[in-house]
Amino acid sequence: MVRHWKKIELLLLFALATAALFAAEAEHATLIREEALSISAGANAQKTAQVSRGSALTILERSQAEGQPWVKISMAADQQAQISREVTGWLPGKAVVTAATASGDEIIFGQAVDSERQAEERGGRKGAADDAWRLYSRVPELFPGSPLAAEAMWRAADIRWQLSKTDFVRSGKPMEEKYLREVIAKYPQSRQAELAAYDLLEGQLCQEWRGLAECPIKESALYEQYAHEHPQSPKVAEALYNAAWRQAALTDIYRINNDRSKSDAARQNGIALARQIQSQQQDQDWKMRATDLIYKLEKKIPVYGVDVVDSGETK
Amino acid sequence: MKLRTCALLLAISVFSSVVPAQQKEQGTIISEVQMYVSPDLNSQKLARATRGRDVPLVMERTKIGEQTWAHVLIIVDVNRDAETTRQITGWVPSNVVISTATPNGDQIIFGEAVDSENQAEQRGGRKGAAQDAMRLYYRVYDYWPNSPLAGEGLWRAADIRWQLEKADVRLRPSSREMNPDLRTPIDDENMKLVMKKFPHTKFADLAAYNMIDNKLCGSWKGETKCPEKESELYEKYAREHPQSPKVAEALFNAAWRQAALVQMYGAQHEKERDKSRNKAMALAQEVAAKSATGDPKLIDWKPRATELMYALQQGIPTYTPEPDRK
Repeated sequence: MVRHWKKIELLLLFALATAALFAAEAEHATLIREEALSISAGANAQKTAQVSRGSALTILERSQAEGQPWVKISMAADQQAQISREVTGWLPGKAVVTAATASGDEIIFGQAVDSERQAEERGGRKGAADDAWRLYSRVPELFPGSPLAAEAMWRAADIRWQLSKTDFVRSGKPMEEKYLREVIAKYPQSRQAELAAYDLLEGQLCQEWRGLAECPIKESALYEQYAHEHPQSPKVAEALYNAAWRQAALTDIYRINNDRSKSDAARQNGIALARQIQSQQQDQDWKMRATDLIYKLEKKIPVYGVDVVDSGETK
Repeated sequence: MKLRTCALLLAISVFSSVVPAQQKEQGTIISEVQMYVSPDLNSQKLARATRGRDVPLVMERTKIGEQTWAHVLIIVDVNRDAETTRQITGWVPSNVVISTATPNGDQIIFGEAVDSENQAEQRGGRKGAAQDAMRLYYRVYDYWPNSPLAGEGLWRAADIRWQLEKADVRLRPSSREMNPDLRTPIDDENMKLVMKKFPHTKFADLAAYNMIDNKLCGSWKGETKCPEKESELYEKYAREHPQSPKVAEALFNAAWRQAALVQMYGAQHEKERDKSRNKAMALAQEVAAKSATGDPKLIDWKPRATELMYALQQGIPTYTPEPDRK
């Protein structure tokens, strides 16, 4: 009986070792053009599905047909699902980029940029934003040592964040923070980690202020904290401006509520934050916006909740 | 009553012509504001004046109670499409008027312009924010011609106008005409002004790049002469503006058009196809070599060029007939 168990143990170990070896040796790849998946190699073979740009592929076999290279691949049928059934088939080899492709990181990144631009254009290719994040995601997966890896991972996470924001507005589906957090974990103290941390602030903002002071107080503190914790971030000036602008809004909210002392305190806070932008930041646009905001605060021009300035003064 | 209005207008016009331009207090407004007949919130309302409106003359200021008012001559649109305007005079809260007498007035207006431009780019941003931004930027150049922000202000004003007109032109049926001479061109007056007033600057280079739009075919209709001509235009630009921030983009556009020609010529015109392939490869290599890697805004061009070269080497299509144009 004991011997029998030992045999099973041995077989199990062997199976695990084989799986690990296969995983280590499996050639991963992606696609830089949409292609049809065929049941066999060759242009005339039956097509079973369309494979999108940036899909995660595992190469099973290589072949030649009609003088062209073909690869047999396996892939998850649903590229976004945690668990998905697997599909296999043949793809033309020329659009498949693997970790062994020379300058493969740049090729995938270049196609991702192209897809991102398509997504931004009016009348651009349908699904281009999804293509872009998938392609960007493949760069750090296939080329973890590439100088483009951090930027690609950040861009993939950012596109997914922007798409989930749209979903949240449409359907109330919670925004997925996982991908931004992965950027921070994998590339700590990098520019990309700072940008990811800035994106994450959006998840903590109020949906509506409803004219109450609570939200701008909290949001101003969040932005100010970000600026102090990430002094090297490209978003420091923007964070400080957002903090200052919320203080300016508080000036108006308190004024409407006839709380003059709190209104004056918020005005002073707003001016102090905007002055930090003027003195510490290089970006011309943010400096000018800060100058404009300081002028409005000093001259008591309302910034929040007004379409048309009637009296022009907040007293 | 009519006579008094006429007399007032006459007085203003005489005053305007007598006072030298540099002594006049001129400027714009930085918030949408209600204009009144007299410095009194209860007086008759004249019009709403939007951000960036031209205030060619601030006639007087007066303090009533705690409120300071400015008596201004302001130019408002009568018909935006016909571009007709009229001058009106009235009273507005003084603090929203930024004039040549305001310390750092150029910076305040520029900041308000950036803010409006940002609003225009946001989904659900303020209506008319792009036009506000355009006017505000122009005012910086108009009334502070010696400001370090003047060139940038004029360029941004011209660019916003260009983008708005471009979007408008694209909606017209003539926008699909192959021959660019058969469609209404985008008005390039302001672009030419940028090049004239700020020659040999980044702004002049950017203006020249925008002006290529007017020379592009509305549609290629599968004919090779369009991508050939367009590739030449972009390459010529890159050669003539070697310091431009748009050099890499221009060279990439030239290369991409040559790559499209490779497909269009196909196997039937082997000689032309090979010539286009070689040209595309050479141009893409130049993009890769010239692309700055340090600037995150320019990081994209080298990978795009590498991807284009890979596609050319592997025979992967880069061009799909309309509407997938770059």
